[in-house]
Amino acid sequence: MNLILTNAGSYPRIGDSPELQVLRQTLARFDRGEASEADIRRAEDEMVRRAITEQIEAGLDVVTDGQIRWYDPISHLAGKLRGTKINGLLRYFDTNFYFRQPVIVDRLVRERPILLEEYRYARSVSSRPVKPVLTGPYTLAVFSLVERGEYRDLERRVEDYAAALAAEVAELAAEGVELIQVDEPAIVLEDAAFDLFAAGIRALAEAKGAARLALYISFGDVSTLYAQLQELPVDVLGLDFTYSPQLVERVAVEGSAKALGLGLIDGRNTKLEPEAEVTAALERLLPAIHSDVAYLNPSTGLEFLPRDRAFRKLRHLVTIGMRFKS
Amino acid sequence: MSREKLRALGIDLPLLPTTSVGSFPKPEELQRARAQWARGLISRDELERLERRATEFWIRTQEELGIDVLVDGEQYRGDMVTYFAENMRGFEIGGLVRSYGNRYYRKPIIVSEVRWERPITVPWWRFAQGLTTRPVKGMLTGPYTVMDWSFNEYYPDRRATCLALAREIRKEVEALIEAGARIIQIDEPALSVRPSELGLAREAMQIVTEGLPAYFISHACYGAFEKIYPDMLALPVDNFDLEMSNSNLDLLEHFKRFPFTKDLSFGVVDVHSHVIEDVETVVARIRQGLEVVPTEALWIDPDCGLKTRTVEEAIAKLRVIVEAVTRVRAALA
Repeated sequence: MNLILTNAGSYPRIGDSPELQVLRQTLARFDRGEASEADIRRAEDEMVRRAITEQIEAGLDVVTDGQIRWYDPISHLAGKLRGTKINGLLRYFDTNFYFRQPVIVDRLVRERPILLEEYRYARSVSSRPVKPVLTGPYTLAVFSLVERGEYRDLERRVEDYAAALAAEVAELAAEGVELIQVDEPAIVLEDAAFDLFAAGIRALAEAKGAARLALYISFGDVSTLYAQLQELPVDVLGLDFTYSPQLVERVAVEGSAKALGLGLIDGRNTKLEPEAEVTAALERLLPAIHSDVAYLNPSTGLEFLPRDRAFRKLRHLVTIGMRFKS
Repeated sequence: MSREKLRALGIDLPLLPTTSVGSFPKPEELQRARAQWARGLISRDELERLERRATEFWIRTQEELGIDVLVDGEQYRGDMVTYFAENMRGFEIGGLVRSYGNRYYRKPIIVSEVRWERPITVPWWRFAQGLTTRPVKGMLTGPYTVMDWSFNEYYPDRRATCLALAREIRKEVEALIEAGARIIQIDEPALSVRPSELGLAREAMQIVTEGLPAYFISHACYGAFEKIYPDMLALPVDNFDLEMSNSNLDLLEHFKRFPFTKDLSFGVVDVHSHVIEDVETVVARIRQGLEVVPTEALWIDPDCGLKTRTVEEAIAKLRVIVEAVTRVRAALA
């Protein structure tokens, strides 16, 4: 078993020192009409580079671009499609972070690639493989408001978002990306429609070519969904263990036919979890995974933490993970 | 009923009282001074002199605009949770964390037992109230929100953290009342985060307000309130101050189904938009508010704190509110 150490998505786009404030300041200057879009792009490049450098320095095997360019997990994708406009703020699950809600006002059409250039830049400044991350069709659909009649039907929204995202996945796969992560946190919501969610994932899986598709679910307890998730056509299943004390046992007992992304390190709290607890969970989980790889990652992206703490979390993850590296 | 409570507290307000949610933008000279102070270039005294000047500016501005219930504008605060964390024992102030877009705050870390040691907001409330004969609200952040917006490295769980904070925050409420505050707003924007914890938020608010002689308002915003309505009406406060306009007044439908049983401070302008609403739009929103609560129970204000707007935009939005209220009052008379 090869245990791969990775990030689950975002990395802080700001830090306390002046050189880590460059993006914030450039965006503020842009708002005042004192900076150009090219200036923003340069500041984003700079912060992507730093995010990748820090992830590598922490000891990760596979990194992300930190989702530095993302205004939020929803509008970065939904807002760039034709047919949407961006509305007011809404809290992102039970975090202290707010996203802007897209409103569907016309037929959803992807006019141009969204993530490909972002991936290319990240790849060019990373000595380790880069994992692109996108938010899945079901989550985008659930958080979209609707002005256009046909889209009152959630199924239609999922379908059209899935078509757009499948094109993203296909392009990334054609670029030679080995692993693509899709986040679908909305499936933890109370009245989630599993069939629609599954249809969206299937559409993405059909587009993945030679790439491996990782489905990551955070912000809720997935214990009761675990068996159903195993049936989906994805290569990796990423699970947030921080919401559910029983999930370790369930996985250990039921086993996993798929590679798992083990979100055992809490990406939402600064407290470093006792090593013994994480080690004990890994000892229970790893033998139950019937795959030649598993991933150890934080339970969520790390943007919920201050930069120094995010780095400390990754170091903690690496320290624990290294003991299980074959 | 709440009007009677206000009168008993010695406060007589016109119909549709106008107010603000809390924060106002900091004038440029104060923003510059805060940056200079952070770099050690000016003294604490100098910074406080400018904070007092800015507070006075906002009190005068609200009076001139004709706002009925004033706020001090929070010119001395960086943020609504961090400010209290900085002034209570048990917290360490962490690095910057993004709250949305290009906005960040310093999320506190609870590292030991939380303790109220001395009045936090009282000197500023006293200063602001000393500048005007109109009532100035006392302004606090509630225990559930402070818990939810802090990292926790000390308490065993969220419940223990929240109740410990409630016991300490009550001491600040007592100190405000002692100083003379009669209208006290306890913000709980995190209220709708985890619907299953609404009982905890209620229990904590009970600890903060129980038996104390003040008119209590609680402000909440940008959440999924449809999930906790009407249960949220169990929170022991007199008035709910809600963001309505940024979410297209979606909540009104719920208020039609289950009557809103408290006073309602109705957010009639969006604080996250540069666009200044026109008077007709705000008048229409007020009328929609009047469809769901009795005239006696309706207060009018912006959706949320105006600190994200420029000084000019904030004033323009307040002016539209006052003009719209004046029109509706005239129609009601």
